[in-house]
Amino acid sequence: MVCACFGLMTGADLQHSQHRTDIMLNLKSKLLAITAALLCAGAAFAQDSGALIDLLVKKGVLNNQEAEDLRVELTKDFVANTSAGKLNLSSSIVDFKLSGDMRMRYEYNNQAPEIAAGGFLLKNETSRQRFRFRFNGDVTLQKGWTTGFALESGQASDSANQTFTSAADDYGVFLARAYVGWQPNRNLAFVLGKQKNIMYTTDLRWDADINPQGLSEIYKYFLGPKDTLEVRAMQHFMDDRTEANNAGPARRDTFMFENQAVYTHWFAPDNLSSLIVAVGFNKYNQSTIPTAPLGTASFAGSVRAQDYLTFAGEVNWANLNGAGTAFKLYWDSSYNTTANTRAYRVYNLNRSLFSADGKAWLAGIGYSYGTGKVQGDYSAKLDYRSVGIAATDPNINDSDWGFSKDNQKGFELSLVYNVTDFTTFGIKYFDTKIIQPGMTFSLGNLNHSQELLVDLVVKF
Amino acid sequence: MNKSILFLAAAIFAASAPAADKLVIKGSDTLGAKLVPMLAEEYKAANPGTTFEIAAEGSTTGIAAVTDSTAQIGMSSRRAKPTEISAATAKGVSMKPTIVAYDGIGVIVNQGNPLTTLTKRQVEQIFAGDIKDWSQVGGSAGPISIYTRNTSSGTYSDFKDLAMKKRDYASSSQKMAGNEQIASEVAKNANGIGYVGLAYLSDPGLKTLSIEGSMPNEASVLAGKYPYSRPTFYYTNGEATGVAAKFIDFTLSDAGQKVVRKVGFVPVRPLN
Repeated sequence: MVCACFGLMTGADLQHSQHRTDIMLNLKSKLLAITAALLCAGAAFAQDSGALIDLLVKKGVLNNQEAEDLRVELTKDFVANTSAGKLNLSSSIVDFKLSGDMRMRYEYNNQAPEIAAGGFLLKNETSRQRFRFRFNGDVTLQKGWTTGFALESGQASDSANQTFTSAADDYGVFLARAYVGWQPNRNLAFVLGKQKNIMYTTDLRWDADINPQGLSEIYKYFLGPKDTLEVRAMQHFMDDRTEANNAGPARRDTFMFENQAVYTHWFAPDNLSSLIVAVGFNKYNQSTIPTAPLGTASFAGSVRAQDYLTFAGEVNWANLNGAGTAFKLYWDSSYNTTANTRAYRVYNLNRSLFSADGKAWLAGIGYSYGTGKVQGDYSAKLDYRSVGIAATDPNINDSDWGFSKDNQKGFELSLVYNVTDFTTFGIKYFDTKIIQPGMTFSLGNLNHSQELLVDLVVKF
Repeated sequence: MNKSILFLAAAIFAASAPAADKLVIKGSDTLGAKLVPMLAEEYKAANPGTTFEIAAEGSTTGIAAVTDSTAQIGMSSRRAKPTEISAATAKGVSMKPTIVAYDGIGVIVNQGNPLTTLTKRQVEQIFAGDIKDWSQVGGSAGPISIYTRNTSSGTYSDFKDLAMKKRDYASSSQKMAGNEQIASEVAKNANGIGYVGLAYLSDPGLKTLSIEGSMPNEASVLAGKYPYSRPTFYYTNGEATGVAAKFIDFTLSDAGQKVVRKVGFVPVRPLN
């Protein structure tokens, strides 16, 4: 190459060219040594070595050209010799998180239906082995955008559980979340689609398994180093109606509008203890839901007269009984301001026999050690609750407690222990009893119930 | 018979010689707009038999052209991405970068502005619109007017990468067609701020700000002390050969690097 250039170049250029050849020889020996050192540290290390190369340049060990050659060599090695290097992900992705869990469950339950006066209680016992599989893909993109999905075993949105049935059966997987999010700044966030529930709530009002769908907004005020106030709103898309085939409210798509203000205050010397208070209001448009939407107790028909005022919160005292421990008081409540209409005109209860109970409340205590992410962590929770016949939305409340029925009161006990950092063993038990006896209406006709759930959960 | 064969061989050589000296260069418009055409002119003056085909349609096209073997040299104002190197390797092409120049971007304000320096964080916040008044960075009170290149410019996105952690420019920023326009507007506007290539820093009416105490010049860029600079590359399939190798050698020679400086880039090494 140098000889070929001879006739075309000046003496200085020739000198430069010879110098370049010398550099190449020198470079090869340096590169060989440094590349070998970096590769010995593991192929995965190669992709993270940019800062190290920059430092070597700064220290004068490499010049810029040698650094570029080394970057390419390391990239080639990473691409050729690692699994991650063979993935071709979009350059717009900042972070792509894959996660999920597999739950094996033993379940025993007993539902005793309420019989008309003079009858007797029946037992309705069930024992079954179940599983739940969830697989999540959550993508953080540039410029504050996010998107993601979740796959779950089970079509009903309030439960991804599948019962082990015939050995000849396989089980379906369904799309449980599909969303797009945008956070233009640290105060404001929007999410559109089927998404995680943004509301501060308990299973008194919202089944934790349900991923609501619609448009959600959060605006977060930073009131100071220890206080935040979040305004949360979601326009839930509850049902798609066929406009052409219906009349009146039945031809309108069904929406639920939920709004909440959540105040958080951190206290105690280390600011690990917290107080959370959430007040809210939710309401439907004038429409109907034509078919029962869930596998457990739910209501098909008018969605009117569901105007709920809500009040929830918790106080957490951290390190109360030594480092890592926490004691918690928590509560949730709901009051339907139009309970009379809901009870007597939608549910058609007999006004002379039953009150239009529009109050639901829950109060509980909890004790925990650790965060539930490390082997040996544990937690225990006990709450008592009472749910009036017109006090909660039967289509979104918990499908387990009282089998989603209203007109029930009782307790729930939950114990969870971390067998490993990623495996938990849990027991949940609840016992419920009827509030207004004699009710045969389908949402309030449970005399009493018990359920025992024994869970082994492996997270990944 | 022997004479006929010799004549035929000579004829074939004569016909094929010009084709062997054709150099196809594709890629970055930063390099391909001025620098490489000027280098090509200088090179042709000494090598009249060489012809050039230069297409400046962006760094991505340059790297792809080397991968597809449709160019001997791919110009790029950025490093090849791992996916590009992977795609090249899959086609038996071994990407080889050669740094041919450095590109420095200076932050300028009006000559009457009392400020002399900014931190990297302040530059990011000003161009992103977090800081809206000069008094917030120690200057005289007044709303900051931001001038940037337009969105089709490579420098528009390069400055975002180098100085703004890839954030978006403030919505109030005004997009200019080129370095000259930015320099002209900032020189006229006492509250203006913008960025230009090193060649435009000495335009009248402007003051260049130091960033974290470092002024943009050849020495600080070469020493890696000035934060808003980047290497620019020729990419080839392995070590270049033939006319491509000659042109790269010419680019790196003193004569070539003087052209680099003349066009407003920083040479790869100190020149006399």
